[in-house]
Amino acid sequence: MMNTAGSNTMMSSASASGNNAQSPGLKTYFKTPEGKYKLQYEKTHPSGLLHYGHGKTVTQVTLAHLKDKPVQTQSQSSSSLGVNSGVRSAAARFLGGGNGSRALSFVGGNGGSKSVTGASSRIGSLGASSSNNVVGSSNFDGKGTYLVFNVGDAIFISDLNSQDKDPIKSIHFGNSNPVCHAFDPDAKDGHDLLIGLNTGDVYSVALRQQLQEVGKKLVGAQHYNKDGSINTSRCTCITWVPNGDGTFIVGHADGNMYVYEKSKDGSGDPSFPVIKDQTQFSVAHARYSKNPVARWHICQGSINSVAFSTDGVFMATVGRDGYLRVFDYKNEQLICGGKSYYGALLCCAWSMDGKYILTGGEDDLVQVWSMEDRKVVAWGEGHNSWVSGVAFDSYWSAPNSDGTGENVVYRFGSVGQDTRLLLWDLEMGELVVPVRRPSGGSPTFSTGSQSSHWDSACPVGTLRPAPSMRDVPKLSPLVAHRIHTEPLSGLIFTQESILTVSREGHIKIWMRPGFAESQSSNSDPLLSTSLKEKPSISGKVIGSSCKQ
Amino acid sequence: MGAAGSKLEKALGDQFPEGERYFGLENFGNTCYCNSVLQALYFCVPFREQLLEYYSNNKSPADADENLLTCLADLFTQISSQKRKTGVIAPKRFVQRLRKQNEIFRSFMHQDAHEFLNYLLNELVDILEKEARASKSDQESSSPSEKISNGPNNMSANGPQKEPIVTWVHKNFQGILTNETRCLRCETVTARDETFLDLSLDIEQNSSITSCLKNFSSTETLNAEDKFFCDKCCSLQEAQKRMKIKKPPHILVIHLKRFKFIEQLGRYKKLSYRVVFPLELRLSNTVEDADTEYSLFAVVVHVGSGPNHGHYVSLVKSHNHWLFFDDENVEMIEESAVQTFFGAAQEYSSNTDHGYILFYERLVC
Repeated sequence: MMNTAGSNTMMSSASASGNNAQSPGLKTYFKTPEGKYKLQYEKTHPSGLLHYGHGKTVTQVTLAHLKDKPVQTQSQSSSSLGVNSGVRSAAARFLGGGNGSRALSFVGGNGGSKSVTGASSRIGSLGASSSNNVVGSSNFDGKGTYLVFNVGDAIFISDLNSQDKDPIKSIHFGNSNPVCHAFDPDAKDGHDLLIGLNTGDVYSVALRQQLQEVGKKLVGAQHYNKDGSINTSRCTCITWVPNGDGTFIVGHADGNMYVYEKSKDGSGDPSFPVIKDQTQFSVAHARYSKNPVARWHICQGSINSVAFSTDGVFMATVGRDGYLRVFDYKNEQLICGGKSYYGALLCCAWSMDGKYILTGGEDDLVQVWSMEDRKVVAWGEGHNSWVSGVAFDSYWSAPNSDGTGENVVYRFGSVGQDTRLLLWDLEMGELVVPVRRPSGGSPTFSTGSQSSHWDSACPVGTLRPAPSMRDVPKLSPLVAHRIHTEPLSGLIFTQESILTVSREGHIKIWMRPGFAESQSSNSDPLLSTSLKEKPSISGKVIGSSCKQ
Repeated sequence: MGAAGSKLEKALGDQFPEGERYFGLENFGNTCYCNSVLQALYFCVPFREQLLEYYSNNKSPADADENLLTCLADLFTQISSQKRKTGVIAPKRFVQRLRKQNEIFRSFMHQDAHEFLNYLLNELVDILEKEARASKSDQESSSPSEKISNGPNNMSANGPQKEPIVTWVHKNFQGILTNETRCLRCETVTARDETFLDLSLDIEQNSSITSCLKNFSSTETLNAEDKFFCDKCCSLQEAQKRMKIKKPPHILVIHLKRFKFIEQLGRYKKLSYRVVFPLELRLSNTVEDADTEYSLFAVVVHVGSGPNHGHYVSLVKSHNHWLFFDDENVEMIEESAVQTFFGAAQEYSSNTDHGYILFYERLVC
């Protein structure tokens, strides 16, 4: 295959020259037991524009699937998920590490697969991919799948399915930096994209409208927490509430989280009472029916990431204090949680069935939290630095699974500041708990007696202290690959690919083994992208797009 | 400087910690290596308290027995007894004494902060040991105390012939490593304990302190030129060796080996690698799974792209506020600003401020 040959030569020359350099050549594929994942596209921002504040922010990516405006093509998705599915279908997000974090809506992305029909698995992200690929990069008509990512003072939007390395659109914020964002493909009233800034300001806009405009400014935005009128601390995470009918939440660096309803007036009156005890969880509601409608004081220090379970019942947060907290969102109640081994937690993600939560943080560990046991059931050891992104692969099914469900295997991935991607298989029956359960019996989550034992040991609403190293079963990664030259901030699984993003805004799209084959007619992605590296961003693309 | 002081006081407002003093230190020509380490030590509260106590118990009227310990105690007392809460102090006597005593620090050339810390702590230990022996009257021979050197590679084993004296400097900084060597022929494990006042860690690009500590304790095979003399086999054998922490110190000082001798170049090179360090840390490479938890309270930062020039500053946590000390200047910084001193993720970067010595204090649970 020419394709492979081409990339091999590139690789070997790069690694030869870079032998003693810091970044020996990176491969354009990585191997797993199920086959090779191949680098399909890279997306980045024009390198000439390293603006003000660059480096202070961590890039996050949101996957945004924009449907046809008049409902027609994507009828399967609307029928199976309906308007209420909110975040769950397409908005996969990423979150970044360091101070901030993220995770969220990817829960949603996976959510679609809950109803295991073929139709729903298609919904998520890449519905339009094949057609777009064939036609090429510059003909989007509004619908399609986009990558929304922040770098410095700008939000960039790239077409996921084009070979173009450069974004098709940039939106600049001047003196402030966008740091987090979220997308709801089923949003009513047009506003589907949320953007949180380091100044604490929050915007909701319509993604389609941004793509139709030629300028570099945000258009048609609703502005919340204007000039920090309610909270002046940095936004750290933002997400739509699944089935929330236009409700979204914004986490801040001071440990507060605000609930907004986009149907309500944006110019709220900050009439929340003073927080009496910074160490205690508390919820306050707005006195008038204005935004924000509620304030949750969650923890001391930054909330680094928020993720809703697919059904929207539970909300998980992780933060600077190292605690994972799980809330019953509707009842505004703390259900359970626990502390990291040490240091802050940076990211979190739910399994699609809501049974497990992954967290990653400054102890270099990937932590698996069981909702049934209300405790950590495994620590994944393998990163050489902080874990900045975690996600379950909801599209993956074990090759030898017979469908009995007796021994469920979960596939998940993690990325870290060590520039590596790790893939893991979690098979509950295989976990060996060293000390606690000397008497045989498989420690699966199905044993009823056990969960009642843990219920009594851990009443609702209490947080567990950090476990001891010897008490937690360890997982080893299935594969570990250095895939970027920079520390990473997040990953997203789509049906066709794995997306990885670095803190500095470089995105790589790795096609899954099966899909990579079918794409091999394209020219080498690396070559083609590097050849067309011109800083001409939006102009012509936008022009042709404005056909409506 | 007055303005800077009042600015800091204004920033802290009524949160200014009772009885605490934040003083910048004047630079006497390339003495930032010294100033940055002195600030870190000053805000190592148990160390400071014991030093001040020592000073009040040993106020020697005669300047004749001035040494580094008395000079340091004098300096810390001077800072802590200032009427004003902020300002600048000139550590003149201390620097003069240092230069008088050790020619390495006499020149105006750029100095290494870790070398200075190392020298200072060992000097303090020597002085305290001497005093302890002297006060023990003459029941022991008056041989000069064996110097306990710093760093894992050149540590002296605890001499069996002499009862080791445990000074308050030891109590703060000293930990014990155990060096386990397993002969691959007879499988005998030889364990040798070594004391340390700090850990010097090799670093890798885009790694964490956790990972560097893991590498420090990872198993290493001794073979070829580097075989191990097994007492049981009475010959050189291949062996496996690993370092574990037997007794975690109260104050854990971690030195990142950012200055590396590159043989091809015939000189030292600064490694600007990004090495992340968490504000809380546990040691898992311990003999017993003690899970001892530590909290970061000071960072000595090297600023500059090369080993022979540059600048040192320090970040210090005091009463839950982070402060930035740059010679005379003292500023408040956000906790999140500590992250800007991790290093550069890529080789050619404008980021030149890199964490060099980390000070962690053990948390009592």
